[in-house]
Amino acid sequence: MSKPTDLVQGTLDLLILKTVALEPMHGWGVALRIRQVSKDVLQVNQGALYPALHRLEQQGWITAKWGESANNRRAKYYSVTPAGRRYLNQEQANWERLSAAINLVLETS
Amino acid sequence: MMRWTYKLPLRFRSLFRKERVERELDEELQFHLERQIEENLAAGMAPEEGRYAALRALGGVEHAKEQCRDQRRVNFIEDFVQDLGYSLRKLRREPGVAMAVALTLSIGIGATTAVFSTINTALIRRIPFTEPDRLLIGLKTRNGTTGSGLVAGFDYLDYRRLGRSFDGLAALTPAGQQTVTGGTEPWVAEASRVTSNLFRVLQVNPVAGRHFLPEEEARGGARVVLISFALWQNRFAGSSTAVGSTVNLDGSPHTIVGVMPRGFRVFYDADLWMLIDWTRSRGATNRNYHNYYVVGRLKSGVSIQQAQHDVDVISRGLEQQYPASNKGKGLRLLDLQGYMVQDIRAGLLLPSAVTMCLLLVACANVAGLLLARGQRRMSEMAMRSALGASRGRLVRQLLTESVMLTLPAGLLGVGIAHVFQNLLLRLLPMDRLGINQPVVDGAVLLFALLVSMVTGLVVGVVPAIRGTAVGPSPRLGTGKQVFEGSRSARLRSGLVVMQVAISVVLLIESGLLVRSLALLSTVNLGFDPNNVLTARIQMQVPDHSKREQLPAFFTSALEEIEGLPGVESASLIDKLPLVDPGGDWEIRRADRPRQSDQDDYPAFARSVSPRYFKTMRIPLLKGRDVSKTDIVSTPRVMVISKTLARTLFADRDPVGQMVEVHLIDSPYVRYEVIGVVGDVRVNDLRGEGDPAMYLAAAQRGDNEMRVAIRTTGNPSRLVEPIRQRLRQKNRNVLVADLATMDSVLDDALSLFRVVIQYLGLFSGIALLLGAIGLYGALAYHVSQQEREMGVRLAMGATRANVLLLVLGRGLLLVGTGLLLGVVGARPGTTLIQQFLYKIQPLDPSTYVGAVLLVGVVATMACFFPAWRATRVNPVEVLRSE
Repeated sequence: MSKPTDLVQGTLDLLILKTVALEPMHGWGVALRIRQVSKDVLQVNQGALYPALHRLEQQGWITAKWGESANNRRAKYYSVTPAGRRYLNQEQANWERLSAAINLVLETS
Repeated sequence: MMRWTYKLPLRFRSLFRKERVERELDEELQFHLERQIEENLAAGMAPEEGRYAALRALGGVEHAKEQCRDQRRVNFIEDFVQDLGYSLRKLRREPGVAMAVALTLSIGIGATTAVFSTINTALIRRIPFTEPDRLLIGLKTRNGTTGSGLVAGFDYLDYRRLGRSFDGLAALTPAGQQTVTGGTEPWVAEASRVTSNLFRVLQVNPVAGRHFLPEEEARGGARVVLISFALWQNRFAGSSTAVGSTVNLDGSPHTIVGVMPRGFRVFYDADLWMLIDWTRSRGATNRNYHNYYVVGRLKSGVSIQQAQHDVDVISRGLEQQYPASNKGKGLRLLDLQGYMVQDIRAGLLLPSAVTMCLLLVACANVAGLLLARGQRRMSEMAMRSALGASRGRLVRQLLTESVMLTLPAGLLGVGIAHVFQNLLLRLLPMDRLGINQPVVDGAVLLFALLVSMVTGLVVGVVPAIRGTAVGPSPRLGTGKQVFEGSRSARLRSGLVVMQVAISVVLLIESGLLVRSLALLSTVNLGFDPNNVLTARIQMQVPDHSKREQLPAFFTSALEEIEGLPGVESASLIDKLPLVDPGGDWEIRRADRPRQSDQDDYPAFARSVSPRYFKTMRIPLLKGRDVSKTDIVSTPRVMVISKTLARTLFADRDPVGQMVEVHLIDSPYVRYEVIGVVGDVRVNDLRGEGDPAMYLAAAQRGDNEMRVAIRTTGNPSRLVEPIRQRLRQKNRNVLVADLATMDSVLDDALSLFRVVIQYLGLFSGIALLLGAIGLYGALAYHVSQQEREMGVRLAMGATRANVLLLVLGRGLLLVGTGLLLGVVGARPGTTLIQQFLYKIQPLDPSTYVGAVLLVGVVATMACFFPAWRATRVNPVEVLRSE
């Protein structure tokens, strides 16, 4: 079995932002969603997930609220702030430009 | 919504609702773990296995928590508070280390702070005049070079009249001591003659009364005077009636029109300011008589370059108009502030360099101490690292600890700075700035705080980085002592070498100075200063017509002094050797054609009364002394010194020859040489064989003389009788500065002594610190190598072998340090060159002495640890394994 691709530094923030931008979600949910959407290609390192969430929260890109989970447990739900949404759009555009550029290079050479 | 509306409450919560935040973090991670365990169980793992797998996936709950905490951005504050508490507890348990560090660093920090506060006072704070940036000084140049820089009076008046760049251009000149009479007792005040606009140029206002008025200057020096604050307090008790009252200056009444503020001073001390009388002052009318300081204030918006261009044009005009006197003459404008502090800037170089050396030694010492301490704490660090502390976190904690050590050192240092400062002040011509006492103010305290913190970081950073360079696993659980890494050991050796080297440099410099002082104090002065009492006698003459009476007065005064019991002989001279320098004139042989300046030789001119040479025990080598019969009406005579005789009359007997002396007002005056006396240090202690000519005082008519009295017993007993006798004789005579020649000469050497004290004190401290550092390093080395020593002893090495082994290691460090120090001493001597007397900068005996001293002290410091190594009990050491 090939190792799941390690996430490039900085891309984890982008993925988390994108995920919680869809709907408020707790940490476990974020990890699960990323894994599912990427069809098990992207494995979020759980040790890095929570520091990343807390960092984004401290930077004001996301905000947290306690709520009830599906099985009636209290859980911390993260949602994106307006500033975070703008930041996400900007970072996503950057990413698209970067990956397009890398693709161009890979295809031509 | 803005981002900060999210961020601020979070920071606040992190700091002040910490428990709740922690509980939530715990709950969040717990939630995650439960979901993961559920998933693992669903995948078919056993319950225990599922739990461990979940924990592993998270990478350890505590580790994850710590990383989350790191995101809070207030960790830094929290950790700091925590580290602070921890450091304090740690220090309480190790008071020895704390004391050693605090004492060592406080010396370094104290010295640095003293130098800073002086620099702060002298160089950073501006001169005490309004808008000092617009103030400048004008210095006379001749063919581009500046001598004294003083300007001729008429040149000044032309610059003032024609200059377009100035709000005002003022001139001033010291007018010597003026006798003030009229009260119960005459007194002497330092006077200054100034232009009426000086105070307006400087923008200094009188505290009482008014400035001079321009029309007072135009009238040819009205009889008005401004007095100093000190004079106002001492002579008029600060009374408001002083302004408007009349005093007699040099016999003529002057009205006091104002009082200058406390401490007001320009270039030189003065108690009285009078107007320059351009109509009568002989110097004013002569473009060859350069006697005036010129200060100006630039018009606002005019740069000093523009002003320079302006005066250059004027200078060229003057050159054409007066080629005889003004050929090649110019005026250089300089920023006044820069000009006034240049001596101090130069004077601070030596103390700054020495102080930096000392601080360096102190830092090296403490860094060595902390390195050793860091080694002992390796396992503590390994444990913390295993518990989840990041390396950065550990480094931060160690840095907090070292800063906690250096802050009290800084506090102590401020006290020590005070002591150093008194020394420093005596080194520098601070009073020239009108600032006499640097004070410990806010800026200085801030500086001390900064130095302490920076020192803490500097001495702490290397030990912190070295001390935390361990992975958690290998050091843990063994319980064994952690051995020192070789890099760390090399580092500490390097620090020791540096300390030894700096001590050697400082000692060599002090040694050179001490040897110079020793040579200077045994110099053959050419006269015998023992049992000689000196005083200044000034005779008040109401007007110039009575000047002829002066010689008679002085002659009879001398006779009365000689009549006192205990007086062997007494005589007069206008300038005492070494005490009153200057006064050199040009002298030439009269029998050679007067073609060029080449035959003119500079020599110091002194007026003496008969028996001066006998009183001072200066040998009369040829001819005769000045006698009572050499008076105004007889031909002018002089006695010359041996060196001058050899210079002028190498080919013949000088006695009976004619010479010409070049004076300022009347170009050449003829004198007959009547005798030759031995050489005396006239002008400078270092000036061997100063050429001198002694003129007959009775033929010159000075109104102020020095009296030299040779006594049979203790000269100080004669002070009161002499004062009384002269006072009875004439109410207008002033006797001042009664002192023995010995003590007067001592003062001449005092600056030199202060330099030696400063350097000597610092090099002594550096040596001590260096020895302590060496001792510490070796003692630590021995304690680390106990096992090795034990094994060696068990294998049959003798105690002497072990002793030599350790001693050898220490002496290797000492030797390297000595070598570096000797190499480094040479460039250091440039800073003290000006103080050296008859000592080569590479004086071998000084080098050998300094090296020996450091070598012996260092060897002693090495010996004790080495001796301890031989006391190791092999059985005990090996069993403890």
